[in-house]
Amino acid sequence: MIDGLLILLLFQFLGEVLIHLTGLPLPAPVVGMILLLFALMLGAPGMDKVSEAAGALIRHITLLIFPLGVGIVLQWHRYQDNALALAVSVVFGTLIALVLVTLLLKVLLRRSSHGSGGGDSHHG
Amino acid sequence: MAELMHTPLLGELLHTPLFGLLLTLASYRFAQWAYAKSNSLALFHPFIVAAIPVIIVLPLVGVPYEEYREQTALISFLLGPATVALAWPLYRQLHTVRSVWRPLLITVVIGAALASGLAVGLAWWLGAPETVVGSLAPKSITTPIAIEVARVTNGDVSLAAGAVAITGIVGALAAGPVFRLLRVEDDRIRGFALGLVAHAIGTARAFEFSEKAGAFGGLALGLTGLLTALALPWIWPWVSSLMG
Repeated sequence: MIDGLLILLLFQFLGEVLIHLTGLPLPAPVVGMILLLFALMLGAPGMDKVSEAAGALIRHITLLIFPLGVGIVLQWHRYQDNALALAVSVVFGTLIALVLVTLLLKVLLRRSSHGSGGGDSHHG
Repeated sequence: MAELMHTPLLGELLHTPLFGLLLTLASYRFAQWAYAKSNSLALFHPFIVAAIPVIIVLPLVGVPYEEYREQTALISFLLGPATVALAWPLYRQLHTVRSVWRPLLITVVIGAALASGLAVGLAWWLGAPETVVGSLAPKSITTPIAIEVARVTNGDVSLAAGAVAITGIVGALAAGPVFRLLRVEDDRIRGFALGLVAHAIGTARAFEFSEKAGAFGGLALGLTGLLTALALPWIWPWVSSLMG
């Protein structure tokens, strides 16, 4: 657990440093994530120790986020003027995106599984 | 209740991180229990249920939201390491989908642009100001990354967090009917579409279809988050100037 946290914090720190040096307009934790992904793909020793801490943080992501999320209700006066735009954007935007992405996958994956003999397509 | 709050000890404790952290953890624990009891119904997602005690208790004891945010800074800080942690499931799932990486990659590029573009376009069309539009831009990506991206797009952190959660819940609720309507029976499609549009909440829904759907959901979640985080900070100044 501690090893894992150490790795995660170290890579977040490396992300900070890299952004500082390069001036990239990216979130530091995202850069840290890419660096960690590279380290894992290159088989850097000891990196699999990250699994326990990573799993715990990801499993409880709701806990980490809802103290920020409740602000949408507790500070509603700041958002109520845009209630319609918010509701339409979040609800309909999500529904339309889900339908379009599903259709796109249907077309692309059908073609690809035909190409590879359909070995990994699973029906029923 | 109000009387009790005015005793000196309790009054002081209310203004320490101990109070905020205790309230947060207890609310979360309760929400987990309620979610399990409801058989993981999307409407009972821990995000929604955990918010309720906090929304009720804070005004009742007179702790302003800003102060609660400071009290729980320790929890919010962990969003950073949690983002870095996403490298782990991404790494493990990269191997399971090698045979179809090309169509999946095309879908991520088009789908991430669609999910973000639809949210931004609709909100802008309905006259929302840039803070609101900027908070909605990362709504389809997993929360820790979305928060970081919202900071870059001049968004509001609370609004972004709320929009992400509601997006996930809408996606998870709509998945069943949408897949039935479009006659989708391929678990790769169900999982990937859910993870792309509805991040972690969608991925949890995908696991209910099958293990395979869940793995594709996790991959989509990671790739969409990564791509959006990499692309939006570059594209945003241009979008922002278009909005005038």
